Amino acid sequence: MTDPAIRASGLRKRYGDVQALDGLELSVDRGEFFGLLGPNGAGKTTFINTLVGLVHSDQGTAEVFGFDVEDDYREVRDRIGLAPQEFNVDRFFPIIEVLEHKAGYHGIPRDEARERAEEALKTVGIWDKRDTRFDWLSGGMKRRLMLARALVSDPDLLILDEPTAGVDVQLRHDLWDIINRMNDAGTTILLTTHYIEEAERLCDRVAIMDDGRKVEVATPDDLMARGTDTIVLELADPPRTAPRLDVDGVTDVELTDEGLSVTAMGGSQTAPAIMRELEAQGHTVASLDIRRASLEEVFVDMTRDERDYAEVSA
Amino acid sequence: MNPNATQLVTLVRREVLRFVRRPYNTFLPPIITNALYFSVFGVILGSRIGSIAGVSYIQFVLPGLVVLGAISDSFENASFTIFHGRWNEYIQAVTTSPMSNRSMVSAYVTASALRGVITSLLIIGVGLVFTSVPVSHPGYLVAFVLVITTLFGGLGVVGGLWASDFDYLTVMNQFILRPLVFFGAVFYSLDVLPPLWRSVSLLNPMVYMVNGVRYGMIGVTEIDPNTSLAVLTGVTVVVLSIDFALFKRGYGLTE
Repeated sequence: MTDPAIRASGLRKRYGDVQALDGLELSVDRGEFFGLLGPNGAGKTTFINTLVGLVHSDQGTAEVFGFDVEDDYREVRDRIGLAPQEFNVDRFFPIIEVLEHKAGYHGIPRDEARERAEEALKTVGIWDKRDTRFDWLSGGMKRRLMLARALVSDPDLLILDEPTAGVDVQLRHDLWDIINRMNDAGTTILLTTHYIEEAERLCDRVAIMDDGRKVEVATPDDLMARGTDTIVLELADPPRTAPRLDVDGVTDVELTDEGLSVTAMGGSQTAPAIMRELEAQGHTVASLDIRRASLEEVFVDMTRDERDYAEVSA
Repeated sequence: MNPNATQLVTLVRREVLRFVRRPYNTFLPPIITNALYFSVFGVILGSRIGSIAGVSYIQFVLPGLVVLGAISDSFENASFTIFHGRWNEYIQAVTTSPMSNRSMVSAYVTASALRGVITSLLIIGVGLVFTSVPVSHPGYLVAFVLVITTLFGGLGVVGGLWASDFDYLTVMNQFILRPLVFFGAVFYSLDVLPPLWRSVSLLNPMVYMVNGVRYGMIGVTEIDPNTSLAVLTGVTVVVLSIDFALFKRGYGLTE
């Protein structure tokens, strides 16, 4: 059986009073575009740093393409390209040399390293800045360089920690295109992001993390289907008070300026039953609008539920 | 070239380019400083001191100044490059690469030792402006300079991993290394010291380095050069082993 791109089992890491990773279990398939979502302090960066050897876990194991991150660190790191959230670029050298060095650290001969560095800079669109040092690049160019450095070793697993943090919309779309092309070519992508739209558009599956644990793993569509949708019904003869709806899945009914607002799990499946119930009560439905829960709302619900659960348990 | 060699050569090259491209920070200071030493201690004071161990005073202090420059620069190079890389986190480009821990240490120490050797040659070059520079035992001279610069490159790695602020680098260089060198018989012969202080001086490892290089240059030593070389080589092996162990443990590099 082929090993997954990433497999974490019972991973724990504590910093003083903070349990950054609390028995994390996670598996990412080869070739997958996998998103890691979670609030600040959820343990996303700690997990990534465990994979590349910047963090030693206290307990548990992590493997990349079947290689243990501690025992087989050279095999693991040879397969990973990392674009970290913080800028950590060598300020002494022009950026093309920064990339040449990175390729060289991966054992790529000098001539080929030069070619790859040039190609990576062209791919991210900052070729004309090749002789500039990092400090003189604009914020957007710095983000592009972080991606170029991750690409220069032609990794099997590309890890992107908040790759589009603080960049404008145009650049974000440019970076998405590049990352998507990498994924189409077979590179496994692990992406952490605060932009839920990014995960929704790019990822095959997402894991929601909180307090160092995995809360849920599913496709963005599956997760959204688990959220509570809002069904807004305009009634021909609006009642003075909200009618009582005895329908499975309905969690709330209220009258608003737009009409009758019904909160329900799986809005499209529940809507026919709601209409039948309203007509049985003598109302005429003039229009209906189903507003699907966004991944962001599901994310907020899930991480809030997790915190509520933790507080109750405590 | 196999990938392991490519990795090592790449990091050595990066390290060497870093100091070669900044001569005003790396090569000019030892040239100026040593020109001043030779002017004051060699020409102005030296003419009144006369000969020591059968050579002029300026020739007597030259080996000590070579050692002073070599150890300062090899130590400073390794400690600075590692600490600065940690401070700005760009050392992570190396530590998250597939390079082995041994290759990383070897590259940092090799580049730092090379800088120490270049500084030694520059100081000898400055010395040639003021006096003739004898080389009595070239083999010993080369061996001592290589061992000393490797040893202090290795110690610089420890310092760079241990430091948590730039102040630590200053403390190590100015308050530990420099006093040891100045009391390491750079400017005087051990014979001029009272017996007690002569014995105390023998506890200072710099005495053995200065005497070793002095033997290589002017052929005079107060300590057996083979013993000195053997002890220094042993200490170097121990320090490099500590470097390897610290990198393997991730000391100062991982959380």
